[in-house]
Amino acid sequence: MTRTSRAPRRGGVRRENRGLFAIAAVAFGLYVCFLVLPLLLSLRSSFTNENPLRATSSFVGLDNYREAVGDTQLRASLVFTLILAVGVTVAANAVGVLFAMMLNRTTLSYRVMRTVAFLPQVLSGVIVGFVWQTILTQDGLLNHVLQRLGLIDEPFAWLGSPNAALFSIGVVVAWILTGFTTVVYLAALQNIPLELHDMAALDGVNRRQRFTRVIWPMIAPGTTISVTISLITVLKLYDVIAVLTGGGPANSTQSTALYIVQLAFTSDRFGYASSVAMVLLLLSAVIALSVTNVLRRREVNL
Amino acid sequence: MIRKPLLAACLIGALALTTACSDSDSGGGESTLTYLTFETPSLTSTFWNDSIASAQQQAPGVKINRITSPNTDRDAYAKQLQASGQFPDLLQSITPANFVGAGLLQPYDQTWVNANFLLPEGNALKGKVYIPPTNSQVIPQVFYNKELFTKAGVQPPKTWAEFLTVCDKLKAAGINPIELGGGDPFAAGMPLVGIISADVLGKNPNWLQERYAGKVKFTDDNVVTAVNKYRTLVGNGYFDKGALGVKYADSITRFTGGKSAMYPMGSWFLGSVPKETADNFGVFPWPTDDGSLVIPFTVGGSMAISAKSRDIPGATKFAQAWSLDPKNLKALIEGDGAFPMLKDKTLDDYGVTVTQVFEDSYKYVTDQNTKVSSISWATNDDALPPGVNNDFYAASQALFTSSDVKGELAKLDKAWDTATK
Repeated sequence: MTRTSRAPRRGGVRRENRGLFAIAAVAFGLYVCFLVLPLLLSLRSSFTNENPLRATSSFVGLDNYREAVGDTQLRASLVFTLILAVGVTVAANAVGVLFAMMLNRTTLSYRVMRTVAFLPQVLSGVIVGFVWQTILTQDGLLNHVLQRLGLIDEPFAWLGSPNAALFSIGVVVAWILTGFTTVVYLAALQNIPLELHDMAALDGVNRRQRFTRVIWPMIAPGTTISVTISLITVLKLYDVIAVLTGGGPANSTQSTALYIVQLAFTSDRFGYASSVAMVLLLLSAVIALSVTNVLRRREVNL
Repeated sequence: MIRKPLLAACLIGALALTTACSDSDSGGGESTLTYLTFETPSLTSTFWNDSIASAQQQAPGVKINRITSPNTDRDAYAKQLQASGQFPDLLQSITPANFVGAGLLQPYDQTWVNANFLLPEGNALKGKVYIPPTNSQVIPQVFYNKELFTKAGVQPPKTWAEFLTVCDKLKAAGINPIELGGGDPFAAGMPLVGIISADVLGKNPNWLQERYAGKVKFTDDNVVTAVNKYRTLVGNGYFDKGALGVKYADSITRFTGGKSAMYPMGSWFLGSVPKETADNFGVFPWPTDDGSLVIPFTVGGSMAISAKSRDIPGATKFAQAWSLDPKNLKALIEGDGAFPMLKDKTLDDYGVTVTQVFEDSYKYVTDQNTKVSSISWATNDDALPPGVNNDFYAASQALFTSSDVKGELAKLDKAWDTATK
């Protein structure tokens, strides 16, 4: 009996495993085709002087990487990207936690508001860029409103000076990411056992203490995901900046991703662009791994 | 379980093969050619479809599969297509200099070019023509608002000194003297294009060739002196303080709406002059120190032909038919302010309705005067090395806030040397 009852189950498991194997093989194939292979090709290209408009290219060793070390435009783009990444990550996560706490209700109106809060994340970056451009331009909605309210005498160039443009881009990207962080923190909040809230209430803790002692520690896994993804998103940011400022004025808002595209498709320097892409990849990986490591350790300690 | 994914993969493969076969040359002696175009408010999808249909009638057997560039930077898109092995058979209004080095373009028959165009060598590269020189532009000209000039009591200037006086008087009258769409790098560069073309190339038309030969540099005193004029305009407050936040499209509506008195821009602006108030706008060339007339000029054109095309004779037949069709140029003249360059034709031959300011502007093309390459816009041997246009425009934006003229010009020299090494 035991043998006969086990046999079909084994067969079923084997068939199930075969099915899973097939799915995994497809996924692995896609991963190799669209990620690993392009990555290896880009790595190879980074050691050449490849130019899309030249028939041949030659191996240049580490020349591209040596050039990258002294490339002031690359340095400026990295500084800009890092400042933006840190600023946006902090802002988007702080606002995300706040929104999540406000929307952590089950009534219909709150459920509708959650959907609305997630909308910026759903929209294409290009569309968001164009919408915000009409708001932030010299004769745009924001200046119009501020002038009407008597808060400014003449239009302010929100996209026309390096610092103002950095700030404006930061606000727009944080606005987009807030949709994502809100949803992540909402999920984390809903995983907090109700008993903990009840116990906190019995202990007579106030709102601030409830946040610092119950909510903040319990949403730590959400924080890890949210912070890491926010950082990675901004480190490879292209579309919003391309639409809002095109990297200007005077390349002051040129993210590294934007610089890579310019090197490859305007300056025709595929080889050098690939080496810069490798630098960005390495930097993103180091930052993402370090931050994840620190935040995971924090989860354990809490 | 394995068989199903395998079957699916086979089906997808078969489908892909079928699709590939249907995209390739069809039988019956017909060829299907890809044609890269771009759309603007004047050059709409309907315009392209109609013009293609018309040219196809003169090139029987040629079928066109139109590709539209995602933005007006068709050079960048053509490079992306080339990088992915999809370089089109025909490419509308690209910069040939970017592609000729790679042997990607097929030159036109010089006899045909000589027979049909006013300036057959207008956009030639090392003596070969890769784009029929169908039209030209003056980049920039200074457009002005007549009503605002009258209000400030000023006349169009000829010399640089007069230009500064006009700016002063306009500013004193509470009028913003010069409109600048500084939010878009190419538009931010207009005053600098005017200044360098007029002052540097006006005195030495071979300056760009000498820069290629390493005989001159951007940091030379004459260039620094010229560029300092731009700093004078900025320093004196002749532009809106927030000009770097004004997009190109907004700068047009601001100027046509009377927010500024002058607008240095390429002659394509003529296509945006409102018909109902067209008489309120005039035009004058970028002023020089001594008042001599220097016209920063560039000859554009229609389409380039890929040297890798499977049907070069068919592509050539189509391209020639399209380039000589006055109907196609009509749309470019009226909507894009293009100056036609077909031989033995007057504006009437194109059946166009143009404004007085267009005719005034066109005179600078047809009259005998000193024409020089418009720096950063030339499509002939004077075209800047790949990528340097971007650096030129970035320098223009930087100089709006930085007084380090020599520093910015040194960056340009460095970018040039990197691009040409």
